[in-house]
Amino acid sequence: MRKQRKTPAALLPILLFFALAACGKPADTITVISREQGSGTRAAFAELAGITETAADGDTLDTITEYAEITNSTAVMLQSVAVDKNAIGYVSLGSLNGTVKAVAIDGIAPTAENIQKGRYAITRSFLLVTLGEPSLLAQDFLSFLLSAEGQAVVQDAGYIPVDPQGGYAGGGMEGKLVISGSSSVAPVMEKLKEAYQTHNPSAEIEIHASDSTTGIRTVLEGVCDIGMTSRPPTDSELAEGLSPVTIATDGIVVIVNRENPVSNLTKAQLRAIFTGQITSWAQLTSNTKR
Amino acid sequence: MPNASKRKIRETAAKFAFLIAACTSVAAVVMICLFLFVNGIPAMGKIGVFRFLLGQTWRPANDQFGIFPMIVGSLCVTFGAVLIGVPTGVLCAVFLVFFCPKKLYKVLKPAVDLLAGIPSIVYGFFGLMVIVPAMQALFGGSGKSLLTASLLLGIMILPTVVSVSEAALRAVPESCLEGALALGATREQSVFFAVLPAAKSGILAGAVLGIGRAMGEAMAVSIVAGNQAIIPESILSGVRTLTANIVLEMGYAADLHREALIATAVVLFVFILLINLLLNLVKRRDKP
Repeated sequence: MRKQRKTPAALLPILLFFALAACGKPADTITVISREQGSGTRAAFAELAGITETAADGDTLDTITEYAEITNSTAVMLQSVAVDKNAIGYVSLGSLNGTVKAVAIDGIAPTAENIQKGRYAITRSFLLVTLGEPSLLAQDFLSFLLSAEGQAVVQDAGYIPVDPQGGYAGGGMEGKLVISGSSSVAPVMEKLKEAYQTHNPSAEIEIHASDSTTGIRTVLEGVCDIGMTSRPPTDSELAEGLSPVTIATDGIVVIVNRENPVSNLTKAQLRAIFTGQITSWAQLTSNTKR
Repeated sequence: MPNASKRKIRETAAKFAFLIAACTSVAAVVMICLFLFVNGIPAMGKIGVFRFLLGQTWRPANDQFGIFPMIVGSLCVTFGAVLIGVPTGVLCAVFLVFFCPKKLYKVLKPAVDLLAGIPSIVYGFFGLMVIVPAMQALFGGSGKSLLTASLLLGIMILPTVVSVSEAALRAVPESCLEGALALGATREQSVFFAVLPAAKSGILAGAVLGIGRAMGEAMAVSIVAGNQAIIPESILSGVRTLTANIVLEMGYAADLHREALIATAVVLFVFILLINLLLNLVKRRDKP
C-alpha cells in the first residue's frame, strides 16, 4: 500500500514539466536549419552570404545563430524543410528537388546558367586531392576530368564546369584507381567514371562515398589514390603534401517550405535570419515594406 | 588408443578456438579503450579539462570546445526516454506475463522483438516523417525537440525493457502469486504488490540497460533532436547529445576539432562505464 500513496507525488513534477512546455512560441517563428560546423556547404554558404566575422587570429568564423537546428544530411535538410512551413535551410544545387522551394537572392534565381555567368554568388568548388606524384592512371584520369569532354559530363550532371584544358587524347589505360571522399562529389564522379571507361575499358575505378575528411585522410595514409572534397583542404593537410585540383563548381540554394509565400530574399535579410536578428516571418515582411 | 588421442586433439583444438573467440572480444574492447584514450586525453589537455567539460560554447571554428550543453542534453534526453520507455515497457511485460491470452502473445512477443531489430536510421526517418509533424501540430515550433527525441528513444528502448522485465517476472516463483491470491488479493493486486516488488532488481536491470541504449543512440536522435549546441530551455527546445555531436561533425572535422570529438567519445565512454557499473551493483544486490 505504501507504493500506492507515493505514485501521485512522483507524477507531480512530470505533469509540471509538461504543463510548462505548453507555453509555446509565436506561430510563425522561423525555423533556421543549418549544416554542421566544418561542413563544406556551411562554410561556403556563410562566407558567400556574408554571415561571417574575422576572429582575432585572422580566421574566418561564421555567425550562424546557435539556435539554428543542425543536421549533417542533405536528405534530412530537405525533409525538414518540406514538413515545416516556417523552415529555411540550404542545399547543394545538384540535390535540389521539388519537395521544397528555392529562393532567389537579391532577385537572382539559383540556376546553373546564373551561376555560370557569375550572377548568382553563393557557390563552392568540388576538389580532388592527390599526394606526391600520382600514378600514371590517376594523372590520365585527372586530365580527362579537366578536358572539354570531362567538363561536358560535369555540366550534364547539373553542376557548373570549370574552364576545360583542351581535349582528351588518351585511352587504353590499365590498372586500378581508388577514389574516396565527399558524398556531395561522389554522384558526379560516378558519371565521370562511366565516361572515362568508354575510352579505357580496362581501367578499374572504385568510388567510395563518405565525407571530405575521410577522403583527405585516406589519401594521406596512402589507402586511396584520389580524394574527393567539397571543402578546401586545411593548411595542416596541405602541409602534408596534398595537391588539390578544382573539377567543378556547385551552387548553394536557399530553400523554404512550398507553402511559404517568400520567393526572394535580399542578402541582408538572409543574414538577419541566419544570425537570429529576425526570428519570425512577419518581422521579415514588415521590414521589407519599410 | 588411437580413438582417445584423437579425441584429446579435438578437445584441445576446440579449447583453442574458444580461447581465440574470447580473446577477440577482449582485444576489441582493449583496442577501443586505447584508441579513445590515446587520442582523446591529449585533446582534453590541450583544451583544458574544465573548459572542455564545463564550457558552454561549442564553436570548433573559433577553437571553443565546451561540451557542457551536450552533457546536459544527453542526460535530459536519456531521462525523458526512461520516463516514457520504462513504465510502458514494464507494464507491457506485466501484460505479456500475466494477462495476455496465448493467441495474442504469439503476435505481441515477436512484434516487440522485431522492434529491437529495426535499424536506428529507420527509427530516425520514422521520427522525422511522423513524430516531428505531429509535434508541430500539437505544440507549434519546428517539432524537433527534447520531447521528440525522448519519445523516439522511449520507443527504441522498449524491447530491451520489455524482454528483461519479462524474464525477471517469469523468474519469480509461482508460489508468490499463488500466496497473494490465497490471502484474498485480486489478481491485479497480487501481480502489482507481490510479484512486481519481488522482480524489482531484474526490472531495475532492464531499466539500466535501457538507459545505456538511450545514452548510446546516435543516428535516430541526431535526426529528430534539432541538434542546437545549447542547454535546452524547455522540453520543446532543440537539444544536442554527446553522440549526435560526434556523428554530426566527424565527417568534416580536422585537427583539434577531430580530437575534441574523440574526447567527446571518451566522456560518453565514461558515462557508459558508469551505467555498466550501476548494472553490476543492481545485479549484485539481487544475489544474497
